Amino acid sequence: MDSLDNIFLHPTRRDVLRLGVACGAAGLLCGRRNVAAQDTAGTGALEGPKLEGVVRHEARHWESLPDRRVKCLLCPRECEVADVERGYCGVRENVGGRYQTLVYGALCSANVDPIEKKPLFHYRPGTTAFSIATAGCNIECKFCQNWQISQFRPEQVPSVEVPPQKLVDSCKAAGSPTIAYTYSEPTIFYEYMHDTAALARQQDIGSVMISNGYIQEKPMRELCRALTGAKIDLKAFTEKFYVEQCAGELKPVLHTLEVLKDVGIWFELVILIIPTLNDSADEIRQMSDWVVKHLGPNVPMHFTRYHPTYRLTNLPRTPVSTLERCRQTALDAGVRYVYLGNVPMHKGENTYCHNCGTELIHRVGMQTTDNRIRDGKCPKCGTAIPGVWSQDQALAVTSRPAEV
Amino acid sequence: MPFSSNRREFLVQVGAAAVGAALGGPALAQTSKPMAERPRPRVVVGRDEALAKGEPAEHAEPIRKLLDAAMQRLTGASDAAAAWRTFFQPANRIGIKVNTLGYSTHPVVVDAIVAGLRAAGVPAENILIWDRFDSELVRAKFRLNKSTTGVRCFGTDADRVGRGYQEQVETNGRIGSCFSRIVAEQVDTLICVPVLKDHNLAGVSLGMKNFYGAIHNPNKYHDHNCDPYVADVVSHRFIAPKWRLTVVDAVRGQYQAGPGRSPEYFWPFGGLVVGADFVAVDAVAADLLEAKRRDAGLPTLADENRPCRHIATAGARGLGEADLKRIERVEV
Ligand code: SF4
Repeated sequence: MDSLDNIFLHPTRRDVLRLGVACGAAGLLCGRRNVAAQDTAGTGALEGPKLEGVVRHEARHWESLPDRRVKCLLCPRECEVADVERGYCGVRENVGGRYQTLVYGALCSANVDPIEKKPLFHYRPGTTAFSIATAGCNIECKFCQNWQISQFRPEQVPSVEVPPQKLVDSCKAAGSPTIAYTYSEPTIFYEYMHDTAALARQQDIGSVMISNGYIQEKPMRELCRALTGAKIDLKAFTEKFYVEQCAGELKPVLHTLEVLKDVGIWFELVILIIPTLNDSADEIRQMSDWVVKHLGPNVPMHFTRYHPTYRLTNLPRTPVSTLERCRQTALDAGVRYVYLGNVPMHKGENTYCHNCGTELIHRVGMQTTDNRIRDGKCPKCGTAIPGVWSQDQALAVTSRPAEV
Repeated sequence: MPFSSNRREFLVQVGAAAVGAALGGPALAQTSKPMAERPRPRVVVGRDEALAKGEPAEHAEPIRKLLDAAMQRLTGASDAAAAWRTFFQPANRIGIKVNTLGYSTHPVVVDAIVAGLRAAGVPAENILIWDRFDSELVRAKFRLNKSTTGVRCFGTDADRVGRGYQEQVETNGRIGSCFSRIVAEQVDTLICVPVLKDHNLAGVSLGMKNFYGAIHNPNKYHDHNCDPYVADVVSHRFIAPKWRLTVVDAVRGQYQAGPGRSPEYFWPFGGLVVGADFVAVDAVAADLLEAKRRDAGLPTLADENRPCRHIATAGARGLGEADLKRIERVEV
């Protein structure tokens, strides 16, 4: 079978996390990656393909330094990397003074998900997104849900090589109008995401980037020519949180949001609320005020529920009342569309017209069950609802050239 | 049976640890005695001019002799076998951690270590030469051996024998990493054999930095000159309590543009740096590199914004002695 179909016939959480592609489709797609032999001693779950089986591809957005060192200019970390070493993300390597990506098309996860699961609530609701990932991330959130792929290196995670056109073909075969670059951090597989999104757009397939927003302006603007939407994690509104919990920075993320706003691409924000760390009323108020002032009232905010995981296991799950309070704060600040995440059946999952309050989209557990929006408008009062409601709109939305 | 453990072996290990402590190894460094009261750890710098010529691989016998002499000087033992027995018992399951990333440990130095261990009565099957990848070991000219006989040699990534990394994340200080199953589960005693070389971020890549090869995510810990992450890695229970000896391969060092291989900065030092206190060994070896850089007219590592913070941090944490004035440096 020459497609990814079999990967997502019976997706499980484990599939999503790591082994779905490799176990399901390794030999079927390319047979080129050197996936570890059947396991032997122990579970061997973290044994991966061999180093020599890793895909190598020229990286973009870097410059040369003396003594065969390079400086990566893809994300704000700006790693200076010596020969034979890798950058922080673990997927970009200096080979004799040339910078290479080790994850071009090296997919470790593939699933067909509801677009709502990204979550994107104002982007083609009720459709699916062909969702893929490679190993690696350019930050390290202590509460990462997908750490078993995001915090590992390409040679440690079973994967298969899927060239851009093959991914587009697989997406079409699955009947998805959109490819989602997601699960880990797509910035670090930038070259593959860029090339695939550009190719997909030519064939009427959209591309959404599900990202932490920790990327430099130049590659972001360049990428926006091909993307049709984005979801950005705004993990908190303090540098302290970003430094201590994520090994990242807030300021560059805010800048990315302003760039997306300037480019005119559709995007939504997700804020994972963690008790005591980023849930204060002041912080949520400041964040919401900033969103309204710099991005406008139409950028949806999703406040989602934290569950203990990875390296942050000593805090309780976020109380629903906290999420409700955050939602109200954002609404009071003027954000028109504010949602709750990871709280199935809550009314905060639904979309209500910001003008007349009519329920427009009903959702249950990240699935759209009823969509009453017609031609992008509220059926009751006729108000235009911000979002991307058709494929034509998705493909047109970034047609104006983004300055690079 | 190789690579098994029972109560008797455990007692032997405890005994060996006590001996290591007496020689200024990490066990001593972690006692509650104030630093000023502790004996100065000894670090032996062995040199033989003949080693500085030609290729390291051509000097197997002189390197073996130099190492044995250094071990005797380190321990005060009357013969080489006794010197090796000071640290190692036949029941130990010994992991020799080499460095095969970029400019690599020379196998001829590891051969000399294996000869010493064998002279001390350690069965070949109890000795394992390892690093991250089979492929990098091969590139560094080590001969893989995944059988159950003879000295074994393979990477963490080796199917069936290396067995990858542990599944659980170990948190220690600021690191959160999965450790190689080799260091976590297969060995109870460690010898570290780095090569004397420069590192573009940490300043130097010596014994302590070499254990970045024991975790799955070393790329996450290069900020701030790899500090305090190096100290966090080596102070973990899988490493510091098992680490008996460091032998820095200084047959031919590299004083700039590391950790990759840069022949234009090779330095035929013709020697070895040997000691039980892994912090002290790194401090002395780093000092040698700094001196060479001065001679070559290069800025200090600190001036290049890559001071060896990790050595100072390890010293400050009591993992060993980082103060050169408090280290007994002996030349042979
Ligand atoms: S993309 Fe990776 S290598 Fe490049 S600057 Fe970011 S973390 Fe460093």
